[in-house]
Amino acid sequence: MNALVLVGALKKTFGERRLLDVSELALDAGKIYALTGDNGSGKSTLLKILAGLEPADELRMRFNGADIDGASYPDALRREIIYVHQHPYLFHSSITANIEYGLALRGIEQPRRHDLASAAIKWAGLGAVSHVQPKRLSGGERQKVALARAKVLTPRLLLVDEPTANLDRAARGQIVALLKQTASDNSCVVVACHDREIIDLPAVVRLHLEDGRLS
Amino acid sequence: MELSTAIAESFRLLFSLDAKLWNIIGVSMKVSLTALLIATPPAVVLGFALATVPFRGRRACVIVLQSFLSFPTVVVGLVLYVLLARSGPFGQWGLLYTQEAMIAGQAMIAFPVLAAFTLAAVQGADRIVRETALSLGASRLRASLTTLFEVRFAVMAGVFNGFGRVISEVGCAMMVGGNIAGLTRSIPTAISLETAKGEFAQGIALGIVLIVLALGVNALLNYFQGEGGMK
Repeated sequence: MNALVLVGALKKTFGERRLLDVSELALDAGKIYALTGDNGSGKSTLLKILAGLEPADELRMRFNGADIDGASYPDALRREIIYVHQHPYLFHSSITANIEYGLALRGIEQPRRHDLASAAIKWAGLGAVSHVQPKRLSGGERQKVALARAKVLTPRLLLVDEPTANLDRAARGQIVALLKQTASDNSCVVVACHDREIIDLPAVVRLHLEDGRLS
Repeated sequence: MELSTAIAESFRLLFSLDAKLWNIIGVSMKVSLTALLIATPPAVVLGFALATVPFRGRRACVIVLQSFLSFPTVVVGLVLYVLLARSGPFGQWGLLYTQEAMIAGQAMIAFPVLAAFTLAAVQGADRIVRETALSLGASRLRASLTTLFEVRFAVMAGVFNGFGRVISEVGCAMMVGGNIAGLTRSIPTAISLETAKGEFAQGIALGIVLIVLALGVNALLNYFQGEGGMK
């Protein structure tokens, strides 16, 4: 199978400390990867580098068969790769407007945009709170909005940073269920986590980060 | 005049819609709001640029901007007076002792307040705001504009703060406005004059207006800070 993402080299140093020294990473479409590692091992940094939000000291990467210049991350790639923060930021507007943000950037016009946002709200099980201001949502609900906001854009690679951290059992279960539905035939999901509920899911491929290297 | 009589008289002036008193209030509102309207767009642009565009000397610019926050308004008035006086470089415009001169002075006073609030708001915005916008496909410019939009309530707080500063300043208004009755007499300059004359009633009435305005502005400030998730 051709890898959706193929990393030949990825290096990142903070001061004297080499945080990441990844020599090989292949991510296949249709799969869910659980990226594990101790706190501070560089999981978030790795995901942010892949998403073009953090510069790497060295990055050799192919995406969907095309070479990516690590020195100047192409804006177009950001439309294929989406990163969801551990504590997602929701814009000071409605849930619908949050979900429509990326759709508007892609030139999708109303009412199609509204229809897609409504479907995403339904998908994430947010119907009951769809009129609540984002700042009044619980941690789990915020995470669901962030996932819906990402999924509606149908990214080829979805990078999710510790989505179940600090959530109660019920909310964790709902987030895990959403993540399982997110990987499709032509897209893949990487979840940085410590959560056994995600790591032990069938068909989840585990990537472990230790001393900057992946195993 | 006894204090109690002066207070009673001040309320009578306020509620009888005394033309002279309300003209002073009108001049103050017109001058201050116009000054804000003029100063806000460039100040927001400058504050935003200082927060987001790295360049050599940026730190020095920020220090200068913050220093202007504590610049005495009377010095702003002095500078403007020298520029607008008959013998000054802009003397031929004949702007001294006009509302336009007061507007210019108040815009200069409000500018650093507005720019500094915008700078602080954008700098204080979590990096996650920009990262979220970028990750959802925004260009760098669009992500910056999204960040500015997200801190709009903090910027609004700056506007209210600027309004509070200019509506109550007396030094500049007195120097370049000249405190001309019916033309450039504003609330603080009128209070100063009436008190000097021993006419406390009108001074107290205008003081009440200033206090009510301060309360209103702070209520709005509080509301906007709450909306912005700051409280």
